[in-house]
Amino acid sequence: MALPYSVLKVCGDIVFAARGGDIYSFTTGLEYISAWRYPAKQANAPSGPSSEPAAASPAPAAAAAPASPASECPPAKRRRVEPEDESASAAQTAEPETTEAKNKKPQQQQKKKTGHQKHSVELPIIQGLYTTTDDRYVVAITGSDKTIWVFEHDGAGNLKQLSQRMMSKRPCSLAITPDNKTILSADKFGDVFALPLIYSEQQQQQQPKETEASSAASTPVSTPSTPQSFKPQANELTIHTKRNLKALANQKLGLKHAGSAKTVDPVFEHTLLLGHVSMLTAIAVASKGDARYYIITADRDEHIRVSRGMPQAHVIEGFCLGHDEFVSRLCIPASRPEVLISGGGDDELFVWDWAAGKLLAKTNLLSHVQKLLPAINKIAVIRILACRPRQEDGNGPTWVFAVCERIPALFAYGLLQDGTLQHCQTIPTPGNPLDVEFLESTSQLLLAMDPDVASSGEGSVASSSLRVLSWEPATAGWQLVDNESSRIKGLPAADDGDAVVLSAEDVQRALYTTESLRKTNSEPAE
Amino acid sequence: MTALKNKRQKREEYRAAIQQDDGATELPRKKFYRQRAHANPFSDHQLIYPPSPDHMDWSSLYPDYVVPEEDAPAEDQDASAKEDETYLADKLPRRLTQDIEVADIGCGFGGLLIALAPVMPQTLILGLEIRVSVTQYVQDRIKVLRQQNAASPLPQKPYSNIACLRANTMKFLPNFFSKAQLSKIFICFPDPHFKVRKHKQRIVSATLNSEYAYVLRPGGVVYTITDVPDLHEWMVGHFEKHLSFERLTTEEEDSDPCVAIMRTETEEGKKVERHSGAKYVACFRRKQELPYEGDVGDVKMLQ
Repeated sequence: MALPYSVLKVCGDIVFAARGGDIYSFTTGLEYISAWRYPAKQANAPSGPSSEPAAASPAPAAAAAPASPASECPPAKRRRVEPEDESASAAQTAEPETTEAKNKKPQQQQKKKTGHQKHSVELPIIQGLYTTTDDRYVVAITGSDKTIWVFEHDGAGNLKQLSQRMMSKRPCSLAITPDNKTILSADKFGDVFALPLIYSEQQQQQQPKETEASSAASTPVSTPSTPQSFKPQANELTIHTKRNLKALANQKLGLKHAGSAKTVDPVFEHTLLLGHVSMLTAIAVASKGDARYYIITADRDEHIRVSRGMPQAHVIEGFCLGHDEFVSRLCIPASRPEVLISGGGDDELFVWDWAAGKLLAKTNLLSHVQKLLPAINKIAVIRILACRPRQEDGNGPTWVFAVCERIPALFAYGLLQDGTLQHCQTIPTPGNPLDVEFLESTSQLLLAMDPDVASSGEGSVASSSLRVLSWEPATAGWQLVDNESSRIKGLPAADDGDAVVLSAEDVQRALYTTESLRKTNSEPAE
Repeated sequence: MTALKNKRQKREEYRAAIQQDDGATELPRKKFYRQRAHANPFSDHQLIYPPSPDHMDWSSLYPDYVVPEEDAPAEDQDASAKEDETYLADKLPRRLTQDIEVADIGCGFGGLLIALAPVMPQTLILGLEIRVSVTQYVQDRIKVLRQQNAASPLPQKPYSNIACLRANTMKFLPNFFSKAQLSKIFICFPDPHFKVRKHKQRIVSATLNSEYAYVLRPGGVVYTITDVPDLHEWMVGHFEKHLSFERLTTEEEDSDPCVAIMRTETEEGKKVERHSGAKYVACFRRKQELPYEGDVGDVKMLQ
């Protein structure tokens, strides 16, 4: 199966659409302009790890994928393999599972080990596209290789790669400060780092490489004193049990092995601003209209935090608390900057006065999903878009569109003055929407979706994955445009075909990641 | 195996008996509540926590301080008049007559709580502990102490001002306390997490300190004590570097009665004493909030 376009970003009159690891640019009429391709081979990746030999035995699942860009990208992180894989690998290494109970324990331990050691090769997929307010720069994150890419945009749809920076933890979401100088990167470990937007790799190369060898935790803020050499922190007075004392003795013996910290910290400038003890899912920058700005972060543990902007990001102004499930998306309408709309694993969309930490309204989204698909009992919001189409008389209403994972529809709301969301329309789509953007110049919506090609039987995944919706005054509703002007034009044949071939499972795994944030209550009580 | 089973069985029987016996006057025994000393703060656990501080029902923990029914503000009526679909209509639990002001993060077996209770009889003190059995022990202990002192002539019954709750404060501190609610936070003998790889799990870090600053009122104090010199340096380093905190001078520390109690009354403190180990104390005051000036250059409207 091929990958559809999955991330969109409108930048003036240019549309950037990411498909797999590549970024394509189009005009608002969907005429192809150019493409930036994820580098096939990364000989000189800035932060080392990608130069690791790719000799690690690929996971069975990944081996099934034919030679494609997947095999050329840097080795993916070590991850726990899924149960099916685990049993398969155990079958390879150890004897069949029908062993006696006595043998079971060592076998399980072995399983665990193999699970961690395995490398699975992952296709780098662009997880997010961001632009500076002046439209001069485009920033992208690729998930599997934890890299932040900065491009210069010439205003006509052509991207020039300026830098690539590999973070120590996977960035989940980015924001750019209002002065367009700093990238704020929220990562999977719960930290927010500030990186200068413009950064030259020459500078970085001048820096001595030795710094890499220093401790793993040597971010500027997090370690006051960088331990240069390993020194056991326990002593005979702080531990008491026989076993611990023995461990300490061993540690002291093994001092010479010190310094072999596994994770290497990035060498480029990055500052820890704030952090949650939870996976971050979204970050946004908000302002009440004056010169001050605030950083809003959302995490998997239901929190939305409002912190001050730099250089006072350590000051927490407040929280927007009330979600019962993970938060996955934040949206601050440009036309209503005092309002924050959030969504995630809850049945509802939440509207907040973020500065006061006050809930303004909650609207049930699941009930509208159920009108379309009665069997659905939980949803994961993957996108919230707010826009205000231009009108002759000036101020029209602010529209809010919500997308839920694996729900083939777009949910349109009107944002009222008091903050309530009024459901206006459920727009069924011929595939699961992945992203939606507003085309200011034509007042249309651009939709990226995972088209149901198999059943519709028309076109390739790539060509049918971008669709346009426009407002139909006759029906007073948004409608899919279905004519020549709403199709992609001029895409080189090589790109039009479904070149990147992945197994259907891999495509699913790459595109639908949000629902997995939900907590399962399977963990046994201690 | 059988020995293990017997142990568990005894433990369950013991605890069930304690639960049932409302008039128990004998203090619970620690040996029936032991639990592995470490808990992974990153795991989800099966924690119970309120969505926000307003949703927290404290009434079962501080029964003597619950606002009487008739005094409760009559806001329910206009709330229920609203439509069904908003949280604004959620029935909030009954409030306490006063807010909790002191938190003992990682209270362990509760030695500090019990020592502080008579020193600050007017103040509500909460112990937070991540381990289930240990929390249960402290709760049972407080229950018995309250019963023992039920006949006290004092207006505030002894030990009615302390309680213990299972919580992961690294994740959920702001779910329990609102901004500037606390005047004191105790962090006593925290898990040292010796390995560099585990430093992120330490209870003091640059990012967590911001949360402590959030729940503390200006002038409030964080008390730390440990027997691990490196951890002491780590905590001092991180708090001193944090712009919202300043360290108390040695004289200030010495004159604070809480410091003396923290040195001698915590369970871990007693243990260190038995092994004649060293104790390192450091206290930090929450400074006044800095004004937030818009010194961020020319800022255009966002988006």
